[in-house]
Amino acid sequence: MPGLFDRLDKEIKGNQKDGGISPLDIAKLPPSLRKIMKLMLRELSMSYPRMCEVMDAMPEKDRLTRTELDSALSSLSEQFWLIRIGEKEKAIYKVNLRRKAGSTLMAGIWSSLDNKLKDKTPKSS
Amino acid sequence: MAGKIVSIHSFRGGTGKSNTTANLASQVALTGKRVGIVDTDIQSPGIHVLFGLNEQKMGKTLNDFLHGKASIREVGFPVGKNTGEGAGRAQLAGKELYLFPSSIRGQDISQILREGIDFNKLNEAMQMAISEFELDYLFIDTHPGLNEETLLSIATSDVLIIILRPDNQDLQGTSVTVDVARSLDVPNLFLLVNKALPKYDAVELKKDIEEQFQATVTSILPLSFDMAENASQDLFLLRYPDHAWSVALRNVIPYILNAE
Repeated sequence: MPGLFDRLDKEIKGNQKDGGISPLDIAKLPPSLRKIMKLMLRELSMSYPRMCEVMDAMPEKDRLTRTELDSALSSLSEQFWLIRIGEKEKAIYKVNLRRKAGSTLMAGIWSSLDNKLKDKTPKSS
Repeated sequence: MAGKIVSIHSFRGGTGKSNTTANLASQVALTGKRVGIVDTDIQSPGIHVLFGLNEQKMGKTLNDFLHGKASIREVGFPVGKNTGEGAGRAQLAGKELYLFPSSIRGQDISQILREGIDFNKLNEAMQMAISEFELDYLFIDTHPGLNEETLLSIATSDVLIIILRPDNQDLQGTSVTVDVARSLDVPNLFLLVNKALPKYDAVELKKDIEEQFQATVTSILPLSFDMAENASQDLFLLRYPDHAWSVALRNVIPYILNAE
């Protein structure tokens, strides 16, 4: 019987398929959102209480108020740039980076090469 | 305190990025720090050569981690226990230096080109390398130019060193990279000039480049035939510590160790 971890893992993988943020998108974010994304890149995943702790420990000029933090987390989660598991105080956030797409040109080249190699395979009599 | 990420980057190829990364990381390891090097130049890996690795000697690679076939613990190659031949590398015996190489198998490289890269896994590789190996510093050898892997490493860096030659193509490209790094709020952005002709006045060159980019030039490395002759066979800085190139490169170390 699948446990809680399996269910959450499935939920995370399902959400990750819905997009994610590219490193270039991070550069274009407003400063408050970029600060959170950069923090999440280093931490990989964080609980909401831990995020509040880290924010409180930042120098005052870099710190977000609780309202700003909640608003930023909400905005990032809605776009699936952060994946939120659980609600409010019990939420855990995980960064969701967009996959680098493979080259369709390369796929064509390789299938063409495969076909040519097949043509050159000696035929048995 | 979490380990620091030091990305070494250049806008164009052939600037000496891998050689600089390997030598700087090794010098930091010699100070007793725990150091890792990740080769994120997955399309054209090369830094493993400086540590005497080839396809036969290479065990699990970053590619295996990205495809879920190995843990980061299995990928980390302990250089201090496998220094191999080379008088420079031999000095790393017993040091805590780990290389996370990218695969040089043609099939693995073509797989990455065909299927793309899971950036969540690539980022995990870097962060888990720091936590599982308890690294003080993780050096990232990047692909030249601005691709997405490079942007990810810049975004997650504490220190970014951009290498450039005193060449107009390099200068223009570096300008783009500096702009991107600033938009990603890299806390410590430095420049390093390599392959400077002897006729240049190092002080003037440093001043000119610093004015142009409004960033600190950590050192000016001379164009060196001795370095070229070394042909990535050994760690030049460790093998020839009194050479002008080595002396100039050592000037970069305090910028890394003192970065906040």
